[in-house]
Amino acid sequence: MSWGAHQFEIYAVHAHLPKKMIGKVSFFGIWLGDFTPDFLSKFWVYGITIGDRHYGSSIPHQWHRGWPGMGFTHTLFAGVVIGALLWLWRRNRALTVGYVLGFAAHALTDVNDSVGTMLLFPFTTENWTVRTWSYAATIEGGKYLDAAAYYSSLGLVMDLFWLVVVLFSWRVLTREYWRAQVVPADAHGWAWLGRYMPERALLALYRATFFYGLCRVIAWSTWAHLIARPVIDGVERFGYPFDFSWTGPWWIGARSLPHVPIWMVPIGVAALLAATYWAFARLWEPMGEAEERRRKARAPV
Amino acid sequence: MAPDPDDVDAGYPDPDDPHWRQLTLRETAFWYGLAGVTYLAASVVEKGLLNWVIGPVWLVAVVWFGPLLADRLRGRGRRVDGGPG
Repeated sequence: MSWGAHQFEIYAVHAHLPKKMIGKVSFFGIWLGDFTPDFLSKFWVYGITIGDRHYGSSIPHQWHRGWPGMGFTHTLFAGVVIGALLWLWRRNRALTVGYVLGFAAHALTDVNDSVGTMLLFPFTTENWTVRTWSYAATIEGGKYLDAAAYYSSLGLVMDLFWLVVVLFSWRVLTREYWRAQVVPADAHGWAWLGRYMPERALLALYRATFFYGLCRVIAWSTWAHLIARPVIDGVERFGYPFDFSWTGPWWIGARSLPHVPIWMVPIGVAALLAATYWAFARLWEPMGEAEERRRKARAPV
Repeated sequence: MAPDPDDVDAGYPDPDDPHWRQLTLRETAFWYGLAGVTYLAASVVEKGLLNWVIGPVWLVAVVWFGPLLADRLRGRGRRVDGGPG
Protein backbone atom coordinates (compact mmCIF):
# COMPACT_ATOMS: atom_id res chain seq x y z
CA MET A 1 0.00 0.00 0.00
CA SER A 2 1.00 3.61 -0.35
CA TRP A 3 1.02 6.08 2.50
CA GLY A 4 1.83 9.77 1.95
CA ALA A 5 1.64 9.29 -1.82
CA HIS A 6 -2.15 9.23 -1.62
CA GLN A 7 -2.18 12.59 0.16
CA PHE A 8 0.16 14.22 -2.35
CA GLU A 9 -1.31 12.78 -5.54
CA ILE A 10 -4.63 14.58 -5.15
CA TYR A 11 -2.85 17.93 -5.54
CA ALA A 12 -0.84 16.55 -8.44
CA VAL A 13 -4.01 15.40 -10.20
CA HIS A 14 -5.67 18.79 -9.71
CA ALA A 15 -2.57 20.61 -10.93
CA HIS A 16 -2.30 18.53 -14.10
CA LEU A 17 -5.82 18.48 -15.47
CA PRO A 18 -6.46 18.67 -19.23
CA LYS A 19 -6.75 22.26 -20.43
CA LYS A 20 -10.52 22.33 -20.75
CA MET A 21 -10.99 20.98 -17.23
CA ILE A 22 -8.73 23.49 -15.48
CA GLY A 23 -10.63 25.22 -12.69
CA LYS A 24 -13.70 23.08 -13.34
CA VAL A 25 -12.96 19.84 -11.49
CA SER A 26 -13.90 19.49 -7.85
CA PHE A 27 -11.00 19.20 -5.41
CA PHE A 28 -13.44 17.72 -2.87
CA GLY A 29 -14.30 15.12 -5.51
CA ILE A 30 -10.67 14.18 -6.12
CA TRP A 31 -10.07 14.01 -2.38
CA LEU A 32 -13.14 11.85 -1.80
CA GLY A 33 -12.33 9.54 -4.72
CA ASP A 34 -8.77 9.04 -3.56
CA PHE A 35 -9.92 8.46 0.00
CA THR A 36 -12.74 5.99 -0.73
CA PRO A 37 -10.78 2.77 -1.48
CA ASP A 38 -8.99 2.67 1.87
CA PHE A 39 -11.97 4.08 3.74
CA LEU A 40 -14.04 1.10 2.58
CA SER A 41 -11.43 -1.57 3.18
CA LYS A 42 -8.58 -0.62 5.47
CA PHE A 43 -10.31 -0.57 8.85
CA TRP A 44 -10.40 -4.37 8.86
CA VAL A 45 -6.87 -4.82 7.51
CA TYR A 46 -5.23 -4.06 10.84
CA GLY A 47 -8.38 -4.71 12.84
CA ILE A 48 -8.56 -4.08 16.57
CA THR A 49 -7.55 -6.15 19.55
CA ILE A 50 -9.74 -6.10 22.64
CA GLY A 51 -8.30 -8.08 25.52
CA ASP A 52 -6.84 -11.23 24.02
CA ARG A 53 -9.14 -11.28 21.05
CA HIS A 54 -8.31 -9.80 17.65
CA TYR A 55 -11.11 -8.52 15.47
CA GLY A 56 -10.07 -8.13 11.86
CA SER A 57 -9.26 -9.95 8.66
CA SER A 58 -7.52 -13.30 8.93
CA ILE A 59 -5.47 -12.59 5.78
CA PRO A 60 -5.04 -8.79 5.59
CA HIS A 61 -3.71 -8.56 2.01
CA GLN A 62 -6.44 -10.87 0.69
CA TRP A 63 -9.08 -8.77 2.40
CA HIS A 64 -7.59 -5.46 1.29
CA ARG A 65 -6.82 -6.22 -2.36
CA GLY A 66 -8.15 -9.63 -3.28
CA TRP A 67 -11.28 -11.43 -4.37
CA PRO A 68 -13.01 -12.76 -2.37
CA GLY A 69 -12.38 -9.73 -0.19
CA MET A 70 -12.65 -5.98 -0.48
CA GLY A 71 -10.15 -5.77 -3.33
CA PHE A 72 -12.88 -4.48 -5.64
CA THR A 73 -12.68 -1.18 -3.72
CA HIS A 74 -9.30 -0.65 -5.39
CA THR A 75 -10.52 -1.08 -8.96
CA LEU A 76 -11.41 1.36 -11.70
CA PHE A 77 -14.67 -0.53 -12.05
CA ALA A 78 -15.72 0.45 -8.52
CA GLY A 79 -14.66 4.05 -9.17
CA VAL A 80 -16.74 4.21 -12.33
CA VAL A 81 -19.79 2.59 -10.68
CA ILE A 82 -19.72 4.94 -7.68
CA GLY A 83 -18.98 7.86 -10.00
CA ALA A 84 -22.01 6.93 -12.14
CA LEU A 85 -24.23 6.77 -9.05
CA LEU A 86 -22.88 10.13 -7.95
CA TRP A 87 -23.69 11.54 -11.37
CA LEU A 88 -27.23 10.15 -11.35
CA TRP A 89 -27.78 11.59 -7.90
CA ARG A 90 -26.24 15.04 -8.24
CA ARG A 91 -25.72 15.64 -11.98
CA ASN A 92 -22.56 17.43 -10.93
CA ARG A 93 -19.82 17.15 -13.55
CA ALA A 94 -17.08 18.70 -11.42
CA LEU A 95 -17.72 16.30 -8.55
CA THR A 96 -18.17 13.18 -10.69
CA VAL A 97 -15.07 13.71 -12.81
CA GLY A 98 -13.00 14.63 -9.76
CA TYR A 99 -14.23 11.59 -7.89
CA VAL A 100 -13.34 9.11 -10.61
CA LEU A 101 -9.94 10.72 -11.25
CA GLY A 102 -9.11 10.55 -7.53
CA PHE A 103 -10.31 6.95 -7.32
CA ALA A 104 -8.25 6.00 -10.38
CA ALA A 105 -5.15 7.70 -8.95
CA HIS A 106 -5.43 5.60 -5.79
CA ALA A 107 -5.99 2.29 -7.59
CA LEU A 108 -3.17 2.92 -10.07
CA THR A 109 -0.66 4.04 -7.43
CA ASP A 110 -1.27 0.89 -5.41
CA VAL A 111 -0.03 -1.39 -8.21
CA ASN A 112 3.42 -0.62 -6.84
CA ASP A 113 3.33 -2.82 -3.76
CA SER A 114 3.79 -6.58 -3.92
CA VAL A 115 0.05 -7.32 -3.83
CA GLY A 116 -1.19 -4.72 -6.31
CA THR A 117 -4.78 -4.14 -7.38
CA MET A 118 -7.32 -5.95 -9.58
CA LEU A 119 -7.21 -3.38 -12.35
CA LEU A 120 -9.46 -5.30 -14.75
CA PHE A 121 -12.03 -6.46 -12.18
CA PRO A 122 -14.67 -7.85 -12.80
CA PHE A 123 -13.30 -9.28 -16.05
CA THR A 124 -10.42 -10.91 -14.19
CA THR A 125 -9.58 -11.15 -10.51
CA GLU A 126 -5.84 -11.35 -11.13
CA ASN A 127 -3.89 -8.58 -9.46
CA TRP A 128 -1.66 -6.12 -11.27
CA THR A 129 1.57 -5.38 -9.49
CA VAL A 130 5.10 -4.25 -10.29
CA ARG A 131 6.26 -5.34 -6.82
CA THR A 132 8.26 -2.16 -6.20
CA TRP A 133 8.06 -2.66 -2.43
CA SER A 134 6.73 -5.25 -0.05
CA TYR A 135 3.12 -5.17 1.07
CA ALA A 136 3.63 -5.53 4.81
CA ALA A 137 0.26 -5.31 6.57
CA THR A 138 0.09 -8.29 8.94
CA ILE A 139 -2.00 -9.21 11.95
CA GLU A 140 1.07 -9.58 14.16
CA GLY A 141 2.89 -6.44 13.04
CA GLY A 142 -0.13 -4.19 12.59
CA LYS A 143 0.25 -0.62 11.47
CA TYR A 144 3.68 -0.15 13.06
CA LEU A 145 5.49 -2.89 11.15
CA ASP A 146 3.64 -1.88 7.98
CA ALA A 147 4.86 1.70 8.37
CA ALA A 148 8.39 0.59 9.24
CA ALA A 149 8.60 -1.61 6.14
CA TYR A 150 7.12 1.03 3.85
CA TYR A 151 9.40 3.82 5.08
CA SER A 152 12.46 1.58 4.83
CA SER A 153 11.83 0.64 1.20
CA LEU A 154 11.13 2.19 -2.19
CA GLY A 155 7.76 3.15 -0.67
CA LEU A 156 9.57 6.08 0.92
CA VAL A 157 10.92 7.00 -2.51
CA MET A 158 7.38 6.84 -3.90
CA ASP A 159 6.15 9.29 -1.26
CA LEU A 160 9.08 11.60 -1.96
CA PHE A 161 8.43 11.34 -5.70
CA TRP A 162 4.83 12.54 -5.29
CA LEU A 163 6.01 15.23 -2.87
CA VAL A 164 8.45 16.50 -5.49
CA VAL A 165 5.73 16.43 -8.15
CA VAL A 166 3.57 18.66 -5.94
CA LEU A 167 6.49 20.94 -5.06
CA PHE A 168 7.29 21.36 -8.76
CA SER A 169 3.64 22.42 -9.10
CA TRP A 170 3.92 24.55 -5.94
CA ARG A 171 1.35 27.07 -7.19
CA VAL A 172 -1.31 24.47 -6.47
CA LEU A 173 -0.78 25.26 -2.77
CA THR A 174 -1.08 29.05 -3.08
CA ARG A 175 -4.05 31.16 -2.11
CA GLU A 176 -4.29 32.50 -5.67
CA TYR A 177 -4.58 28.99 -7.10
CA TRP A 178 -7.13 28.01 -4.47
CA ARG A 179 -9.27 31.07 -5.19
CA ALA A 180 -9.04 30.86 -8.97
CA GLN A 181 -8.94 27.11 -9.65
CA VAL A 182 -10.36 25.32 -6.64
CA VAL A 183 -13.16 27.46 -5.20
CA PRO A 184 -15.09 28.02 -8.46
CA ALA A 185 -15.46 24.27 -9.06
CA ASP A 186 -16.92 23.78 -5.57
CA ALA A 187 -18.52 27.19 -5.09
CA HIS A 188 -21.43 25.91 -3.03
CA GLY A 189 -19.27 23.87 -0.70
CA TRP A 190 -16.67 26.56 -0.06
CA ALA A 191 -19.35 29.25 0.29
CA TRP A 192 -21.15 27.13 2.87
CA LEU A 193 -17.95 26.52 4.83
CA GLY A 194 -17.15 30.22 4.46
CA ARG A 195 -20.18 31.10 6.55
CA TYR A 196 -18.46 29.58 9.56
CA MET A 197 -14.76 29.71 8.84
CA PRO A 198 -12.47 32.60 7.86
CA GLU A 199 -10.58 32.41 4.61
CA ARG A 200 -7.32 31.51 6.32
CA ALA A 201 -9.04 28.47 7.86
CA LEU A 202 -10.57 27.47 4.52
CA LEU A 203 -7.19 27.73 2.89
CA ALA A 204 -5.68 25.66 5.70
CA LEU A 205 -8.41 23.10 5.15
CA TYR A 206 -7.50 22.94 1.47
CA ARG A 207 -3.81 22.50 2.32
CA ALA A 208 -4.50 20.16 5.24
CA THR A 209 -4.19 16.91 3.31
CA PHE A 210 -0.78 17.97 2.03
CA PHE A 211 0.20 18.94 5.56
CA TYR A 212 -0.95 15.61 6.91
CA GLY A 213 0.89 13.70 4.19
CA LEU A 214 4.13 15.55 4.85
CA CYS A 215 3.89 15.08 8.61
CA ARG A 216 3.05 11.43 8.09
CA VAL A 217 6.20 10.84 6.03
CA ILE A 218 8.43 12.66 8.55
CA ALA A 219 6.88 11.20 11.69
CA TRP A 220 6.81 7.55 10.58
CA SER A 221 10.30 7.77 9.04
CA THR A 222 11.64 9.35 12.23
CA TRP A 223 10.05 6.68 14.37
CA ALA A 224 11.15 3.79 12.14
CA HIS A 225 14.79 4.86 11.83
CA LEU A 226 15.60 6.86 14.95
CA ILE A 227 13.31 5.64 17.70
CA ALA A 228 12.31 2.03 17.07
CA ARG A 229 14.54 -0.77 18.40
CA PRO A 230 13.39 -3.80 16.42
CA VAL A 231 14.74 -7.30 16.86
CA ILE A 232 15.39 -8.77 13.41
CA ASP A 233 16.78 -12.30 13.09
CA GLY A 234 17.50 -12.27 16.80
CA VAL A 235 19.55 -9.07 16.67
CA GLU A 236 18.37 -5.83 18.29
CA ARG A 237 18.86 -2.94 15.89
CA PHE A 238 19.00 0.83 16.12
CA GLY A 239 16.06 1.55 13.83
CA TYR A 240 14.70 -0.60 11.01
CA PRO A 241 17.28 -1.15 8.24
CA PHE A 242 16.77 0.68 4.95
CA ASP A 243 16.53 -1.47 1.84
CA PHE A 244 15.90 0.22 -1.46
CA SER A 245 16.10 -2.95 -3.51
CA TRP A 246 13.11 -4.07 -5.58
CA THR A 247 10.33 -5.60 -3.44
CA GLY A 248 12.29 -4.63 -0.30
CA PRO A 249 12.81 -4.51 2.56
CA TRP A 250 14.52 -7.86 2.90
CA TRP A 251 13.55 -8.29 6.53
CA ILE A 252 9.85 -8.82 5.86
CA GLY A 253 8.28 -11.39 3.58
CA ALA A 254 6.48 -9.76 0.68
CA ARG A 255 2.79 -10.69 0.61
CA SER A 256 1.40 -11.56 -2.78
CA LEU A 257 -1.69 -12.73 -4.66
CA PRO A 258 -1.99 -14.36 -8.11
CA HIS A 259 -0.99 -11.66 -10.57
CA VAL A 260 -0.43 -10.92 -14.23
CA PRO A 261 3.15 -10.82 -15.60
CA ILE A 262 4.92 -7.71 -14.34
CA TRP A 263 5.82 -6.47 -17.85
CA MET A 264 2.11 -6.05 -18.59
CA VAL A 265 1.54 -3.66 -15.70
CA PRO A 266 3.14 -0.42 -16.96
CA ILE A 267 1.36 -0.91 -20.29
CA GLY A 268 -1.95 -1.62 -18.57
CA VAL A 269 -1.64 1.33 -16.20
CA ALA A 270 -0.74 3.72 -19.01
CA ALA A 271 -3.63 2.42 -21.14
CA LEU A 272 -6.17 2.72 -18.31
CA LEU A 273 -4.95 6.20 -17.39
CA ALA A 274 -5.17 7.30 -21.01
CA ALA A 275 -8.61 5.67 -21.35
CA THR A 276 -9.88 7.48 -18.24
CA TYR A 277 -8.76 10.88 -19.49
CA TRP A 278 -9.98 10.13 -23.02
CA ALA A 279 -13.41 9.08 -21.73
CA PHE A 280 -13.79 12.26 -19.69
CA ALA A 281 -12.55 14.39 -22.56
CA ARG A 282 -15.36 12.90 -24.69
CA LEU A 283 -17.97 13.11 -21.94
CA TRP A 284 -17.01 16.56 -20.71
CA GLU A 285 -19.32 18.61 -22.94
CA PRO A 286 -22.30 16.22 -22.84
CA MET A 287 -22.05 16.10 -19.05
CA GLY A 288 -21.90 19.88 -18.90
CA GLU A 289 -25.00 20.14 -21.09
CA ALA A 290 -26.89 17.62 -18.96
CA GLU A 291 -25.92 19.51 -15.81
CA GLU A 292 -27.13 22.75 -17.35
CA ARG A 293 -30.45 21.19 -18.39
CA ARG A 294 -30.99 19.91 -14.87
CA ARG A 295 -30.12 23.32 -13.38
CA LYS A 296 -32.64 25.02 -15.65
CA ALA A 297 -35.30 22.45 -14.89
CA ARG A 298 -34.85 22.96 -11.14
CA ALA A 299 -34.62 26.75 -11.27
CA PRO A 300 -37.68 28.57 -9.89
CA VAL A 301 -39.81 30.06 -12.66
CA MET B 1 -29.79 32.17 -3.38
CA ALA B 2 -27.01 29.99 -4.79
CA PRO B 3 -23.62 31.71 -4.97
CA ASP B 4 -22.33 32.87 -8.31
CA PRO B 5 -19.56 30.39 -9.26
CA ASP B 6 -17.54 33.26 -10.72
CA ASP B 7 -17.71 35.27 -7.53
CA VAL B 8 -15.25 33.60 -5.21
CA ASP B 9 -15.99 36.20 -2.51
CA ALA B 10 -19.64 35.18 -2.38
CA GLY B 11 -20.81 34.62 1.16
CA TYR B 12 -17.55 35.75 2.74
CA PRO B 13 -17.83 37.99 5.79
CA ASP B 14 -15.96 41.25 6.28
CA PRO B 15 -12.18 40.63 5.94
CA ASP B 16 -11.47 43.62 8.24
CA ASP B 17 -12.96 41.69 11.13
CA PRO B 18 -9.96 40.32 13.11
CA HIS B 19 -11.62 36.94 13.12
CA TRP B 20 -11.51 36.94 9.33
CA ARG B 21 -8.33 38.88 8.59
CA GLN B 22 -5.77 37.46 6.19
CA LEU B 23 -2.31 36.53 7.37
CA THR B 24 0.87 38.11 6.06
CA LEU B 25 3.42 35.82 4.44
CA ARG B 26 5.53 35.86 7.60
CA GLU B 27 2.54 35.04 9.80
CA THR B 28 1.52 32.25 7.44
CA ALA B 29 4.98 30.70 7.62
CA PHE B 30 4.97 31.00 11.39
CA TRP B 31 1.57 29.44 12.02
CA TYR B 32 1.98 26.61 9.49
CA GLY B 33 5.45 25.96 10.88
CA LEU B 34 4.13 25.92 14.42
CA ALA B 35 1.37 23.54 13.42
CA GLY B 36 3.90 21.24 11.74
CA VAL B 37 6.41 21.22 14.59
CA THR B 38 3.82 20.67 17.31
CA TYR B 39 1.97 17.99 15.35
CA LEU B 40 5.20 16.15 14.56
CA ALA B 41 6.39 16.34 18.15
CA ALA B 42 3.08 15.08 19.47
CA SER B 43 2.67 12.34 16.87
CA VAL B 44 6.17 10.92 17.23
CA VAL B 45 5.30 10.40 20.91
CA GLU B 46 1.73 9.21 20.27
CA LYS B 47 1.26 7.54 16.89
CA GLY B 48 -2.49 7.48 17.37
CA LEU B 49 -2.49 11.18 16.45
CA LEU B 50 -1.23 10.34 12.96
CA ASN B 51 -4.52 9.96 11.22
CA TRP B 52 -6.45 11.74 8.51
CA VAL B 53 -8.86 13.41 10.93
CA ILE B 54 -6.54 14.77 13.62
CA GLY B 55 -3.80 15.90 11.20
CA PRO B 56 -6.03 18.21 9.13
CA VAL B 57 -7.96 19.39 12.21
CA TRP B 58 -4.66 20.24 13.93
CA LEU B 59 -3.54 22.45 11.06
CA VAL B 60 -6.89 24.19 10.67
CA ALA B 61 -7.18 24.79 14.41
CA VAL B 62 -3.69 26.30 14.72
CA VAL B 63 -4.04 28.51 11.63
CA TRP B 64 -7.58 29.58 12.54
CA PHE B 65 -7.37 30.13 16.29
CA GLY B 66 -3.64 30.80 16.76
CA PRO B 67 -3.69 34.26 15.13
CA LEU B 68 -6.98 35.05 16.85
CA LEU B 69 -5.46 34.28 20.22
CA ALA B 70 -2.28 36.18 19.41
CA ASP B 71 -4.31 39.21 18.31
CA ARG B 72 -6.33 39.10 21.51
CA LEU B 73 -3.20 38.91 23.62
CA ARG B 74 -1.69 41.87 21.78
CA GLY B 75 -4.95 43.79 21.91
CA ARG B 76 -5.19 44.07 18.15
CA GLY B 77 -8.66 42.58 18.03
CA ARG B 78 -10.03 45.19 20.44
CA ARG B 79 -8.59 48.12 18.44
CA VAL B 80 -10.10 46.93 15.17
CA ASP B 81 -13.40 46.05 16.76
CA GLY B 82 -14.13 49.21 18.67
CA GLY B 83 -11.19 51.58 18.94
CA PRO B 84 -10.11 54.36 16.62
CA GLY B 85 -7.51 52.08 15.10
